[in-house]
Amino acid sequence: MRLSPLEPWSRALPVAPLDDGALLKFEDLSLRPRFGCKGPDAEVWLATGGYRVPREPNSAVVDADGVLVARLATAEFLIEAADGGVARVESTVRQLTSPARPLNVYPVARQDLVMGIEGAATNALLRQTCSFDFAPLLDRCDRDGGPVILTSMIGVGVVAFVRRAAGGSVMTLWVDPSFAYYFWKTLLEVGGDLGPWSNT
Amino acid sequence: MSRRLPHVQGERIDRGNTVEFTFEGRRLQGYRGDTISSALVASGARVLGRSFKYHRPRGLLSAAGHDVNALMQVRREDGSVPNVRADVVQVAADWDINAVNTRGGLARDRLAIFNRLAPFLPVGFYYKAFHSKRWFPRWERMFRNLTGLGEVDLRAPHRSTPKRYEFCDVLVIGAGPSGLAAALAAAEQGASVLLVDENSSAGGSGLYARGGATQFAQQTEALIATAQGNPRIRLLTSTYAACYYADHWVALVSPECLVKVRARGVIVAQGAYEQPAVFRGNDLPGVMLASAAQRMLYHYAVVTARRVAVLTSNSEGYAAALDALAHGVELAAVLDLRLEAGVDSTAAAQELVRRGVPIHYGVKPIEAVAGADGGVASLVFESTAGVAPGKHTLDLDSVWMSVGFAPANALLHQADARMSYERSTEQFVPQTLPPGIYACGKVNGVYSFADRLEDGRNAGACAAGQIGFGIAVERRAAIAARECPTHPYPVFPHPRGKEFVDFDEDLQVKDLRNACQEGFDSSELLKRFSTVGMGPSQGKHSNMNALRILANVRGEPIERLGPTTARPMFHPVPLAHLAGRGFTPERRTALDSDHEARGAVWMPAGNWRRPEYYAIAGKSREQAIADEVRAVRARVGMIDVGTLGKIEVHGPHAAQFLERLYTARFANLKVGMTRYGLLLDEAGVVVDDGVIGRLGEQAFYFTTTTGNSATLFREFGRLATSWDLPVGLVNLTGHYAALNLAGPASRAVLREHTELDLADVAFPYLGVREAQVAGAPCRIMRVGFVGELGYEIHVPFQHAADVWRALLASGSRFQIQPFGVEAQRMLRLEKGHVIVGQDTDGITNALEIGMPWAIKMDKPFFIGQRSLRVLAKQPRRQTLVGFTLPSSDEASVQARRRPKECHLVLDGGQIAGRVTSVGWSPTLARCIGLGLVTPQVALRKHLRVRIDRGEEIDVEVVQAPFYDPSGERQRVGDPL
Repeated sequence: MRLSPLEPWSRALPVAPLDDGALLKFEDLSLRPRFGCKGPDAEVWLATGGYRVPREPNSAVVDADGVLVARLATAEFLIEAADGGVARVESTVRQLTSPARPLNVYPVARQDLVMGIEGAATNALLRQTCSFDFAPLLDRCDRDGGPVILTSMIGVGVVAFVRRAAGGSVMTLWVDPSFAYYFWKTLLEVGGDLGPWSNT
Repeated sequence: MSRRLPHVQGERIDRGNTVEFTFEGRRLQGYRGDTISSALVASGARVLGRSFKYHRPRGLLSAAGHDVNALMQVRREDGSVPNVRADVVQVAADWDINAVNTRGGLARDRLAIFNRLAPFLPVGFYYKAFHSKRWFPRWERMFRNLTGLGEVDLRAPHRSTPKRYEFCDVLVIGAGPSGLAAALAAAEQGASVLLVDENSSAGGSGLYARGGATQFAQQTEALIATAQGNPRIRLLTSTYAACYYADHWVALVSPECLVKVRARGVIVAQGAYEQPAVFRGNDLPGVMLASAAQRMLYHYAVVTARRVAVLTSNSEGYAAALDALAHGVELAAVLDLRLEAGVDSTAAAQELVRRGVPIHYGVKPIEAVAGADGGVASLVFESTAGVAPGKHTLDLDSVWMSVGFAPANALLHQADARMSYERSTEQFVPQTLPPGIYACGKVNGVYSFADRLEDGRNAGACAAGQIGFGIAVERRAAIAARECPTHPYPVFPHPRGKEFVDFDEDLQVKDLRNACQEGFDSSELLKRFSTVGMGPSQGKHSNMNALRILANVRGEPIERLGPTTARPMFHPVPLAHLAGRGFTPERRTALDSDHEARGAVWMPAGNWRRPEYYAIAGKSREQAIADEVRAVRARVGMIDVGTLGKIEVHGPHAAQFLERLYTARFANLKVGMTRYGLLLDEAGVVVDDGVIGRLGEQAFYFTTTTGNSATLFREFGRLATSWDLPVGLVNLTGHYAALNLAGPASRAVLREHTELDLADVAFPYLGVREAQVAGAPCRIMRVGFVGELGYEIHVPFQHAADVWRALLASGSRFQIQPFGVEAQRMLRLEKGHVIVGQDTDGITNALEIGMPWAIKMDKPFFIGQRSLRVLAKQPRRQTLVGFTLPSSDEASVQARRRPKECHLVLDGGQIAGRVTSVGWSPTLARCIGLGLVTPQVALRKHLRVRIDRGEEIDVEVVQAPFYDPSGERQRVGDPL
């Protein structure tokens, strides 16, 4: 059974129920189907498989099915069923991990802690935890794509992507799962100083 | 006795709100908005503190928080706070305030006796008097008792201090006239501007250096209002820039926290520190910088004197004299160090003469004389021109000094600006600034109000234009001063001394001269020997005068000497800010909570935490570890090795890449097999090891040691690029868990959860397979990690707990035992396995650790190969040997009569090596170990080891491995 990287500590981590008055909302999105791939033929292989591939490194697009394709480097990609497209992503994972996978495309394990953050205090939280200025992205992000930021937050390397959602901007962070406990706990601690928060 | 004036235009106090507080046991009153200093001075206080060394009474000096005279211990609701800067901290109701560094209170400080002992305490006396090793602890205790500033209240409640990042296009440091003009100009071109000022309000000297008029203050207030109304400008007051780092990182210290600002351009408009004249008695309470008196007048409506003399050499001093007259202060005289007034001072001088103020020229101050209260009561001076040349004594209660400025250029130094000494202003000014850095206003050598505005506007426009806002503007040269604002040598030695250069450290002119005579005659040496500029004010009022004295002693122009570098942070920072919330990342394996539930005792391993062992009720640590070892040897054990680095390399050049990295050969490694690899640096030193498995013709999977994984992954990427080998590297360290199932029963345990054929023929020793275990996709390596039949199972992080728990469940019939790092070390030691970083050090080369089978010198290339070729021709420096304690028993081990790691191996009393690994082997029932020793000693039958308390014992040299030397158990196993 696939478990979230937070699951082992679920009883040790603070919980706050959903609250409309929360300035921050944290969400564990780790169980979304996801895969990574890399290699000289990865771009062509993804496109052939029906994925919308961003043209520039450090950018991401979300296609009509709700599948996010992030280009992390010239030939490295992160694909996730963000708003939908679960079956397609799972099918591709099976193909990629089978012996019949294409020669110049290789899988990259993505067991990340995936954390969603939204709310009025998002930028204040980021100002205390990351040296990258997300304010312009939070103000002017799109629904279906934008820059992907590879940076360090509270001492941990993260992949960050900001999207426009119904309630405002939503930040998604992909984090090495071995940092999951530290990362989640620390961000909730800092968030607690900024006002009421909730998590799921 | 109140020294509060009627309402003054621009005052910062709220007269409707009084604040009562206690100072040195006296109940006093101020207004909301008063600083501690202004409230005290308004109440008639002249003595605010005691000096650090001689405990001389000290009063207001800068009124800007730039000096050490007014540091307070403040007891308030949330505890006692030391070293509160009274000049800049606003007083609050019911604060109990005391001066720091006194014994018996400010008025009756018993340590004032040191003032009389001054002749016996010359500069550097402690270097010469207190160096005896035997007596040093006593001296240290004495100095710790006698010196220091405020006292830390250990009962104060803990406060969490956050740190914050800020971003802007242009950071303007200093919100005086030039800074305001710069900020407005940059914002007008479209840049976002962060404008910071250390004072509680913007405006700088534009608001207090008025010269008895209102014109400059009104212009400054208009600039402030415009800046505050500009949506592109954010103004932070009571915030100072403490240091500059590369790429326009600036640390701001606000009252609440440390703010780290990343700007695209930085404008330094911090102005200049007014400098004291150096003459006997210049530290007496009442002798102060003219700007301090002006700040008190215009910010707090407080008059610091009834009768004052203005000692000056610039137009600012004349302006201060006019300010004194404007507020009813009796002006005893203006004492100009120059032979005549400068071009910008002439009009003011004429006005003063018209109003009956005597002006003396060519003044040489001789001595300020203290009165009964310890403050200045008179000033003795000589003059050569003016109203009455000759020697005079003026009765007064204050001397305002305005003899020059030192630019506040510490940040520019930190930014690597090149400075030159400008004779027209007698100050260092920026000659070359790094890209994106600008200086304007007084720090740029521009002093008149109008010129500062013009300089600021140009700097702001340039900074914005340079980063693409508006049009690119050319930076104009600094506008030349018409009158020099700074005296070239305001130093007047007195035969009886007490002319203070450094108020923090009580340094006199003779101290600096003596230091020079003793050979400490460069600015850096003088600083270190005399401690000039090393106190809390970091030389803001002393460095330039000290440099002038040094230049004078050496008979050289000051520009040849150069100033010292002001290191971060150049202004005091509350320790709470620096010790604020820090982030220390900790990694946890996928099985961490399972270990916790089993009673793991944790130990750090790099930035991971790992079980050292599993505690068992009723058993000691040693017993628990021994049980874990026995379980692996006799039955089956399992250890979490998820902290190992895990890396994949793909592509047609993958094998070639690994051949170049490691000492072993990989081109001929069959798919489905693994091989041990040693990684060296260019000097042949062992830096890492691991197991490399071939998953396909073009795909390898390998491990690194726990602590090295991130560093090596980066290095591998660099090497692939520099070797022009297009391989694909994937770091799986965090995304894969790993566990090692070891022991005779391991095959039986694993078999229950996989369809993989585990028979020796199908899955031989050193094989690697990809298969499902407990329903999870795994990579399984059959390696002799601890010298038994064993399987290292690598599994995606999110499936790891399932696999671990399944194996524990099926292993229960064999009494499977999870084991920790300590048991693993012993198991590996029994096998003589080298632990890189423990049995090797930073200079141990591959030839010294007894593993020739792992080094393929006939390969075309591997890192370190060339060095090994050279080293092979030279005598060995050290070699790794095994040893055991003859007839050792557990009791003697428990009694600690055994070597420990890093104990020295001796040869004729000389160091011949060290113990690298050692422990009690439950399997062999004796103490075993490894040591790095000289080759000569390694040939002997016994080693002499110095253990605890200097005792020496003999250990017997034996051949490693200590256990199963043929390796049969790991190769064939013992199927149960």
